[in-house]
Amino acid sequence: MTTEELETLLEEQPVNRLHRLARGRIHRHFRLGKRRLIEALLRCTPENRPGLESDLQALMQEPLPAPPVAAKERRPAGPQPTRPGSPRSAHPVQAGSIESAEPATDLTSFLEGIGVPAPQPFVPDAWQEEAVARLTTGDVIVSVPTGSGKTYVALEATRRAIAADRTVIYTSPLKALSNTKFTEFSRLFGPDKVGILTGDRKDNAQAPLLIMTTEILRNLLYDAASGEIDVRLDTLGLVIMDESQYISDPERGVVWEETIIFCPAQAKLLLLSASIGNPQDVADWLTSIRPDPCHLIRHNRRTVPLRAGYLHPNGKLSPLFRSVGIPHGQGGALHPEAKRLFAQYEEETIRPRSR
Amino acid sequence: MPPSIHPVDLINALRSKHLTPAIVFLTSRRACDDAMQAFERSQVALPPARQQAIAAVLAELVTQYPSIAEHPLQSVVQRVGVAAHHAGHLPSWKIAIEELMRQGCLDAVFATTTLAAGVDFPARTVIITQSSVRKSRDFTDLTISEVQQLAGRAGRRGKDLVGFAVLTPSPYIDLGVITKGLTGQPEAIDSQFVISYPMILNLLKAHPLDQIQAILAKSFAQFQLNRRAEILENKLDLLHVQMEPYGPRICTDWISQWQVFDHARRQKAHRVQVKRHESPELTARLQFLTPGRVVGLPKGRGIILRQYRSKGQKQPMVTLLRPGGAVTECPASTVTQVFDKTFEMAEAPVYPWCAPASLDELIRQADDLPVRMPILPILVQEEPEESQIVQTLNDEFPCPTCPSRPACQKDHAVALKLRQEVHRNHKMIQALRTGLWHRFQSRTEVLQQLGYLTPACQLTEIGEWARLIRIDHSLLITELIRADAFSGIEPQVLAGIMSSIAHDDDRPGAFPRISPGLASLLGQVRHLAESLEPHEDPPLLRADIAAVTERWIGDPTLTWIGLCRLTTMAEGDIYRLLARTLEFLSQIHTLRETHPGLADCASRAIKVLRRGVLEELP
Repeated sequence: MTTEELETLLEEQPVNRLHRLARGRIHRHFRLGKRRLIEALLRCTPENRPGLESDLQALMQEPLPAPPVAAKERRPAGPQPTRPGSPRSAHPVQAGSIESAEPATDLTSFLEGIGVPAPQPFVPDAWQEEAVARLTTGDVIVSVPTGSGKTYVALEATRRAIAADRTVIYTSPLKALSNTKFTEFSRLFGPDKVGILTGDRKDNAQAPLLIMTTEILRNLLYDAASGEIDVRLDTLGLVIMDESQYISDPERGVVWEETIIFCPAQAKLLLLSASIGNPQDVADWLTSIRPDPCHLIRHNRRTVPLRAGYLHPNGKLSPLFRSVGIPHGQGGALHPEAKRLFAQYEEETIRPRSR
Repeated sequence: MPPSIHPVDLINALRSKHLTPAIVFLTSRRACDDAMQAFERSQVALPPARQQAIAAVLAELVTQYPSIAEHPLQSVVQRVGVAAHHAGHLPSWKIAIEELMRQGCLDAVFATTTLAAGVDFPARTVIITQSSVRKSRDFTDLTISEVQQLAGRAGRRGKDLVGFAVLTPSPYIDLGVITKGLTGQPEAIDSQFVISYPMILNLLKAHPLDQIQAILAKSFAQFQLNRRAEILENKLDLLHVQMEPYGPRICTDWISQWQVFDHARRQKAHRVQVKRHESPELTARLQFLTPGRVVGLPKGRGIILRQYRSKGQKQPMVTLLRPGGAVTECPASTVTQVFDKTFEMAEAPVYPWCAPASLDELIRQADDLPVRMPILPILVQEEPEESQIVQTLNDEFPCPTCPSRPACQKDHAVALKLRQEVHRNHKMIQALRTGLWHRFQSRTEVLQQLGYLTPACQLTEIGEWARLIRIDHSLLITELIRADAFSGIEPQVLAGIMSSIAHDDDRPGAFPRISPGLASLLGQVRHLAESLEPHEDPPLLRADIAAVTERWIGDPTLTWIGLCRLTTMAEGDIYRLLARTLEFLSQIHTLRETHPGLADCASRAIKVLRRGVLEELP
């Protein structure tokens, strides 16, 4: 998509959709009008254009919230698919004091669609391919929600690096995670291709893929800096740091910084992180200290959509929010039923204690 | 109604809605274990086919991790299809649970929130029962990132079409925290860069001192500090623009000039104010207005009975005896003349302020005062200070006569405020830009004092080996080695000391007895740790923890179960303690070139330590 095409596409969008798109990308976007919003969107994202485009596509799939007039007409005749006599239909006005454009979702549609997807060949997402591709030219930071497929990026990048006869180091913050990954990677690449290093033990240290905790890698890099090298750092092609949001850990965060600072220039860095608030800062930092520019991949779309529910101690389940999915940003109104049940819970538990 | 849902009911409710498998995050390990016990007591049982599936997976894992076979919960997990997963378990057991979960054999896992990051398996549903988490001593609310980390476990890629994050209330829940966590943007992360002693030694080993500042500047910490400094610099530029109209005037630094002048002026004003209600004449006179003195008044004359200061009227007052015997009060300032004539009188503390006999005498005297009396010459001193101030103001400050005085007076308040802001910003920018480097320097000084670095910041012989100890409390460990505390030490005592240094949990419990040798050495370590306190926070140094490790190393025939029986510590905690000790010992082992005896002792300890369950994982 060229810039002009994107611009016309953005112009066609209603302004609230643009605000949703700008969330997390543009500082204080709610201050901007439509024109300036489009300009800001086009200006700030030469690096992240694919992410922006995919988010835009996703947003365009979603129907727009119906205008409030229509909702008012619809409400009395509303589909009310709840069982008769359910307390929710008894107190709709009392509980749902917040005026909302759409009627709150009901339990049936909330629970709809549970199931196992039909097995289909694995097709990597665009961002996953982009992440792997970008690694050829520089460092990459991936900041995406938990469980959206960071491991695929790590695997694919590793596969390519091994094919190019480079060594790969994979670090994780916890020994337990190292062990899990060791088992997983041994299964995928073959046991002779994967080694693990701990403080006192080296299993298959000559393997092209080495798994270790970040502390061990830091120590290796210090040893290399002072000339007592015992791992082939010159053939090192890729360093993958999993859970790199640990850089803000009060006790151990410094180790991540040391590792990144002393990471050999010829090795590419792949930082995998859960969603964090300021991945752009980390990317800017890497760009400022590393020879190649760092590319940031971020999005907050989940591969498997997530819904939030409320389960009352008496076993009654209700959606937590008015909408089926989890609303992002401010204004996520609670479902009236969940609200009522929680108020009831507080009434029952907190009142007697204070008496 | 119970304050929170019963675990068995919870899982039944989830099963009926097809929301299993689920991860249930609970407040504590105890809560997880209680939930398991509830299942153990319940009559729940899985269909045989599923039980067999679990047994098959476990049987396969036992070949790799033999300790799973002995796990007391194995049969319960198999029967109810539910398991607990927390830090109190052995890693091998946790691996087993994760594998069962991955294969879809379990309906639910009870886990603690604290270990959300270490839980590496997804489920269809995540149950959140709390909105706060225990960090060190007290409970803090979950951050947005933490809530998303928890909720993110829901929905398995390729196995689920949707994932569910379900909230169930417990007394520990705040709905707002969770909803904010689910809908909000995760927090920004901040650098936690600290400069440790091993870092300094390793940096100085590889790089000359003049490169260090550049290396520190590459840290994320400095990057973020620079960002903040840049913001301040922009603010500073703005302030400079605002300062423009207040540039040099007749004197270049007119703001300070005016400030000093204003200060002096105010001080002068202040002094005058104090003296205002007493004229110099009056002050001079006051000391002569003593009881018995004859004074002249606007009308007639009188004899002073007393002099006082009333609280109501701030001025000095006198009580007078008028001719004819009247006793009156009037301000001292109404006295017109002070005569050189006093009468003897006996003072009294109450009205009429003199003894009755002398009062009669005084009345008599007052009635026949001579017509003319000599006036007392009183020297009135002009206040020299005041004139001096006026003088200096005029001499030292051009301000009173300066043509820009009105402008200065008007602008001074604003300009001064701006200038102070500029100074403050300057200082902050300085601190942000150089703070890291200063911290490095102050820590370097400590290392120089202790003899790890030469005054030229090169590694001494001691520094050369000390840099290999790259763990917490490295300074304490290297100082101990230097103090020969470990000469001729037994492996189990060394391991005991290391574990007491490594262990940072103050959870109480029952522990085995400690040997006298270890106890006395531990006392020595504690003493040294206290003396190092200004440079490094002392570790907990728990003797009971040291004893656990000592037993394990000292008695190679002790089984894992036997060790667990010796203490109330959870299995997982003992494992972690020993694993950390192993880490510390292997650091000591790296000193084999300079301290062969000690390194040998450490490697012997490592060999004994690595047995049983500690051998299962690399």
